[in-house]
Amino acid sequence: MRERTTPTACLRALLVVSVLFGAVGCASVPDPNDPDAVIEFLQVNDPMEPTNRGVFEVNRALDNTVLKPVATVYKAVAPDFVRTRISNILANLRSPVIFANDILQGEFKRAATTFLRFFINSTIGVGGMNDMASALEIEGHDEDFGQTLAVWGVEEGPFIMLPLFGPSNPRDTVGLVVDFLIDPLRMWASNTERDFVPVSRAGTDAVDIRSENLEVLDDLEKSSLDFYAAIRSLYRQRRADAISNGEGSATVPAPSLGELPGGPTLEAAEELSRR
Amino acid sequence: MLKRREFVSALGGAVLLVMGAVTPALASSIETESSAFITSLAEKAVNSLTSKDAARGQRIERFRTMFNESFAVRSIGKFVLGRYWKKASEDERKEYLGLFEDLMVVSYVDRFAEYAGESLSIKKTRGENKSTVTVFSEIERPGGAKAIRINWRVGTNGTIYKILDVVVEGTSMSSTLRSDFSSIVRRNGGKVAGLIEELRTKTTALKSE
Repeated sequence: MRERTTPTACLRALLVVSVLFGAVGCASVPDPNDPDAVIEFLQVNDPMEPTNRGVFEVNRALDNTVLKPVATVYKAVAPDFVRTRISNILANLRSPVIFANDILQGEFKRAATTFLRFFINSTIGVGGMNDMASALEIEGHDEDFGQTLAVWGVEEGPFIMLPLFGPSNPRDTVGLVVDFLIDPLRMWASNTERDFVPVSRAGTDAVDIRSENLEVLDDLEKSSLDFYAAIRSLYRQRRADAISNGEGSATVPAPSLGELPGGPTLEAAEELSRR
Repeated sequence: MLKRREFVSALGGAVLLVMGAVTPALASSIETESSAFITSLAEKAVNSLTSKDAARGQRIERFRTMFNESFAVRSIGKFVLGRYWKKASEDERKEYLGLFEDLMVVSYVDRFAEYAGESLSIKKTRGENKSTVTVFSEIERPGGAKAIRINWRVGTNGTIYKILDVVVEGTSMSSTLRSDFSSIVRRNGGKVAGLIEELRTKTTALKSE
């Protein structure tokens, strides 16, 4: 595979990142005469891969030394009952941002659900501690401004590994910032100079999310050969799932018994004979 | 008595009638069967893989048998290798599929030992085409923690059912593995041999755990 000149998209993105870090690197572009390789390169859509991998290693070191141990202890020590209530409080605090994004996406029914849940859980749920709304079969959902942009037709753009925040892309990075800015709790805290509020909330959020994902990430790390590539794929799939509100899509490529290239019927017969 | 020709056409008519009656029902019948297949598989897994008295080696062998019986291992392995399947030699394919099976079995076998009374409930099914069904399920966890969404992509020829993909909270196992493996092949200069080497190292390490 020949090395080609770096694409301009990478250079532009690097301008931003290299201001934040020292590390600079672009993924090598495939031979344009190999169409399969070009398609693959475009699908991977990670022009800053070497830089991203560097950031990933730093994030991973931080995770291994701080976040993961804290989340592991939290999960081991705090009873299910307590952890569920903390999760509920955090989810309830997100409601105003979810509500705003429901509205921005034109999902008025879902906005009404979010509003109703916030009202029920903040009152009879005692400050969001108990998810009374779910008990009444008013199920919650998540939304964020990255998803809103996706609904508006904004493409995700190239993959970016953010320091601390982890996997992202330009669209979702903008989403993170906007959600932060429009959050009423954050506004109240900054107007009343209670900076510890968003900081401690972000810390609790991180531990809560990490403790929920201990097994999934351990399994993935254990079974993957290239953990970075696996995380990149996982992030994109989870975002696509969130944007489609869990409905999934039949267009996503998946293994099949009969439609694989190279002798589909033979393939299926072979498979089924392995009983 | 019917003449031969009349008999044949009557028979043909009867066959058409039966087919007409059966075809619309067929789609829903493979959906029902797929759902039953997943339920019984979950039961089987809980019964034979969660036992804490069985030695790890024994649990690995049980899981290997179950994995081969219930998963379309070759189709999945081929999908996961993606465009590099074409480039692999017959020997490489064979070795790759064996190592792929090893990797799946030794990576996931210990998860069952941590079983704590979770239960699987089927939410709905969706026929994707005449041979593929998606079974939507949730793993309900004790203590009121949020249920985990798992979608099973099941392939069938009408009698035999095999899992083609497992999608956990929107993440497809096959797609994630495909990204992972193709990244390794790319980093080894497009050679499947490089992937095989890394798979060998990985599975050896996992087995001796």
